[in-house]
Amino acid sequence: MRRGAAGIGLAFALTLSAPAGARDPSVDYMLECRGCHLPDGSGATGVPDLRDGIGRFVTVDGGRAYLVQVPGSSQAALDDAALAAVLNWMIRAFGPAEVAASFRPFDANEVSRFRAEPLVEVEAVRRDLVGRLSSD
Amino acid sequence: MKRLDAIVSDAARTLARRTSRRGFLGQLGAALLGGTALPLLPVARAGAAPRDPAPGEPSRGTELGDPQRCGYWRYCAMDGFLAACCGGTHRSCPPGTEMSPVTWLGTCRNPEDGREYVMSYNDCCGKDTCGNCICMRHEGDQPVYVPSRSNDIDWCMGRAGVVYNSTVAVVVGVATEEG
Repeated sequence: MRRGAAGIGLAFALTLSAPAGARDPSVDYMLECRGCHLPDGSGATGVPDLRDGIGRFVTVDGGRAYLVQVPGSSQAALDDAALAAVLNWMIRAFGPAEVAASFRPFDANEVSRFRAEPLVEVEAVRRDLVGRLSSD
Repeated sequence: MKRLDAIVSDAARTLARRTSRRGFLGQLGAALLGGTALPLLPVARAGAAPRDPAPGEPSRGTELGDPQRCGYWRYCAMDGFLAACCGGTHRSCPPGTEMSPVTWLGTCRNPEDGREYVMSYNDCCGKDTCGNCICMRHEGDQPVYVPSRSNDIDWCMGRAGVVYNSTVAVVVGVATEEG
């Protein structure tokens, strides 16, 4: 009996944490990102390598906004909660480990706020961020 | 000293009587041959056997259909020539072609187990277009201005001197829901 009660409690916790019908972020990565970024995040010609790089952006000013506003993110067929989940999944999956362990995860509100501001000069903003990353 | 001599000499003679150079060579040969034959035994082969089904693929016995026909469940969003009709299989490119790493993905329902599988439609890029088994199903296809959802894009572009040959449909996962 006690086991049954614990099972019900667990099932309830799971329903609370996941909106019904939400896809696993790793599946959203497959469907929305890996076609170009490839299964291991290594990217292709003109497609950035995510490995050991994506997490560094959240450590500089404007980096969190950039990760949401870059066209691959902001134009993906994902709602704000799902985009937040897949960004969090990518930072944990591709690292670097020290950032993945300590960063503050994105949530739907933050993603929604950043998404409302379009990023026009993608390459210039990226160059600026990368420059500040390497000067740290 | 004489005694030590005798002991060593006796030991050497006994050894020589009991063993032969041919015997040693025979044993060495057996060890060498046996060593090379060991990986051929079924026990060793089991570990090295090709993974079939591959990770995420439906288990054996839950597959219906003919990979050389367009109606096969994995081709639900196919647009192109089936690699399986061009010398390859539904998940490997024909010899002489190279699989484009950049691709587009979608999901197809396997009618046998009712699950949605994430499919990767990789183009095979070579010197010529195949032309066999054209398959246009377009389920979930979007116009080219939604590039990640359009199956009209030739993903051989940008590869060094290669022409679109055919397309494979590889299962890369199950579209599971969170929780």
